Amino acid sequence: MSLAIEINELHKQYPGSWSPALDGLSLGVKENSITGLLGPNGAGKTTTINIICGLAQPDMGQAKVFGVDCISHTNAVRSQIGVVPQQIALFPNLTAWENFLYIGQLYGIDRSYIKDRAGQLLQRLDLEKHAEKRIQSFSGGMKRRANIIASLLHYPQILILDEPTAGVDVQSRAMILDFIQEYKQEGKTVLYTSHLLDEAEKICDDVVIIDEGKFIIEGTPQSLIHNTHDCTDLEDVFLHYTGHSVRD
Amino acid sequence: MRKILATITKEWILTRRDVAGFMLLFLMPAVLIVVMAMVQDAPFKDYQEMRFELLIADHDNGSIAQSIKDGLKESGSFVVTDSIDGQPVTETQLKELLQQGDYKVGIVIPKGATAEMVNAANLVANSISEKLGLGSMPSREVRDSLYIRMYFDPVAKPTYRMAVSFALDKLITFSSSHILVERVSQLGMSAIDTTTTDSTHTDSTATHSLEQADSIDSSSIAADTNILQEAQPVQDFEKIFKGLGIKEHLLNDKEEVVKAHINSVQHNVPAWAIFGMFFIVIPICGHLIREREEGSALRVELIPGARRMVALGKILFYTMVCTIQFALMFCVGIWLLPMLGLPALQLGAHAWVLIPVAIAIAVAATSYGYFVGVAFKTTNQAMPFGAISVVILSAMGGIWVPADIFSPMMQKLAMLSPLYWGLDAVNHVTLRNGGIESVVPHIGVLAGFSTILFVISTHRNKNRARSIQ
Repeated sequence: MSLAIEINELHKQYPGSWSPALDGLSLGVKENSITGLLGPNGAGKTTTINIICGLAQPDMGQAKVFGVDCISHTNAVRSQIGVVPQQIALFPNLTAWENFLYIGQLYGIDRSYIKDRAGQLLQRLDLEKHAEKRIQSFSGGMKRRANIIASLLHYPQILILDEPTAGVDVQSRAMILDFIQEYKQEGKTVLYTSHLLDEAEKICDDVVIIDEGKFIIEGTPQSLIHNTHDCTDLEDVFLHYTGHSVRD
Repeated sequence: MRKILATITKEWILTRRDVAGFMLLFLMPAVLIVVMAMVQDAPFKDYQEMRFELLIADHDNGSIAQSIKDGLKESGSFVVTDSIDGQPVTETQLKELLQQGDYKVGIVIPKGATAEMVNAANLVANSISEKLGLGSMPSREVRDSLYIRMYFDPVAKPTYRMAVSFALDKLITFSSSHILVERVSQLGMSAIDTTTTDSTHTDSTATHSLEQADSIDSSSIAADTNILQEAQPVQDFEKIFKGLGIKEHLLNDKEEVVKAHINSVQHNVPAWAIFGMFFIVIPICGHLIREREEGSALRVELIPGARRMVALGKILFYTMVCTIQFALMFCVGIWLLPMLGLPALQLGAHAWVLIPVAIAIAVAATSYGYFVGVAFKTTNQAMPFGAISVVILSAMGGIWVPADIFSPMMQKLAMLSPLYWGLDAVNHVTLRNGGIESVVPHIGVLAGFSTILFVISTHRNKNRARSIQ
């Protein structure tokens, strides 16, 4: 299986920071898979995603999406990826529909296509009846779902989600996870970060564990559980490789 | 009490940690005080303490012109310029410089002014000599058409015009009296010397006669008093004044030209409209910071090629808002203020030029708002800076007090304010009846200001909101 995302020897240190955010990180995300990028706080997950999206520049190393360099061809890469930030990246004073229309137009998508695409996604994520309501009036779960829709309007080949289920109720969480799996079934690639390891174990085809900016281990959840001594689930594997000490 | 103290401590910690906001809290009012004190220095001074730049086109080159120039210089109230680059100022040049707003007042001393004054004095002297049975001086009928012409920049304040007119009138009266006394003295000398010479009307001779007149004894002056009284002095002095008067001319006296002078409406409507336009800084920087805090700015950042277009879209939208604001304020000046007993706002002979001027000001105001919104991280920093900086720029730019009466140093500093260029451009159109060519430099400066701010802002904005969290 070819790689959708390739990361080679990434180094990144933020100004004023004592330790590097990324310390020679290398990893690959297989095409048409759901890959969980896991690690404790400060492991370098967000920095990695920022570099893939062209929001941050590495000090050294390379990041490629479908063979295209993320640093020198940021726009080409951004048109291939849909990013769902942990933060609700929507205009709270606009309705859901107005948000999607505006964001779609910024992507250069035709108005009628936006209408069809947003309509389908609204229906799938059960927001159809709330389309004319302002985002600020939405609950936490509704905002998360709307946030996902906004990232998928341009039908990206790769979906990157940063803790998409943080702070949502069980029903919304189940809906989001189902949706992610469906998206993969459409032939797309998903890169996903979360601290909820049972969730990652359930939906991920592959898991990459990183810590202190370094690659630790990679594999399917089952293989990792099976191959790691005294581990019964992914959380055990995670703690085995990253330790029990609390991270800042 | 403990709760209050705890709250004070907490507020102190928060304030101390927002170093930029804390600095602005003290720095901005200090800058405001300095600027306002400098700006308002001139209006608090008497006109006697101020020195006005005055342009003179001397077509006479006689003693009257010289005496007027000397008198204006010696008064200490005027800086007189009668030549530029070593060449005497011409009337056309004078009008051009006034039209450009480089000078506020110009005086044209017509050819033959001295001769006219001497002739008028001779007429009076002759009327006296007739009573004495003395000789006469050469004279002709008084010409009605000879006047010292005064041109004012329409932007010059009425009090300033009055001060200049009064000073000039005083000098002409003094010169007229001087020549008359000289002429009468000359006749007196003739009587003493009992010589009947043709009177000379050159100025050098007249001056010489004046010196000789010092030797007339008091008895002959007393004897002449009755004769002077019989000589219908009022009528004769009128001849002198008729000989050389002052007339105020319009810079552009074509029929189609709208004749407007600076007044409360002509200054305040454009000045405060521009000030109001620059207050767009508050909503713009508020929106920008809120969008960053809410995360919607990150969404825009993630869309390929969207950042610049979004910035441009924002600027165009707020430019339209500011332009409409400008138009509405002008409508108030044209229609509402006259209903309240104030003069109507005059738009000048080329009112359409106000459209590009308004757009240039609006773009500058919007770019400034965008810049402030990007330069500061929080609304706590951006809002006070935005509001106070607009007040400072407006004071510097002549919104509160017309820049014409600033000190020379403040007049130079005024040029750093985009509001100065905006207001001066409007004054060019509404008061000086300038066409598009007269405001091209202003539009250029405002466009340059906007472009620089836009480039800095978009570059800076690239580094803001650059994390998915």
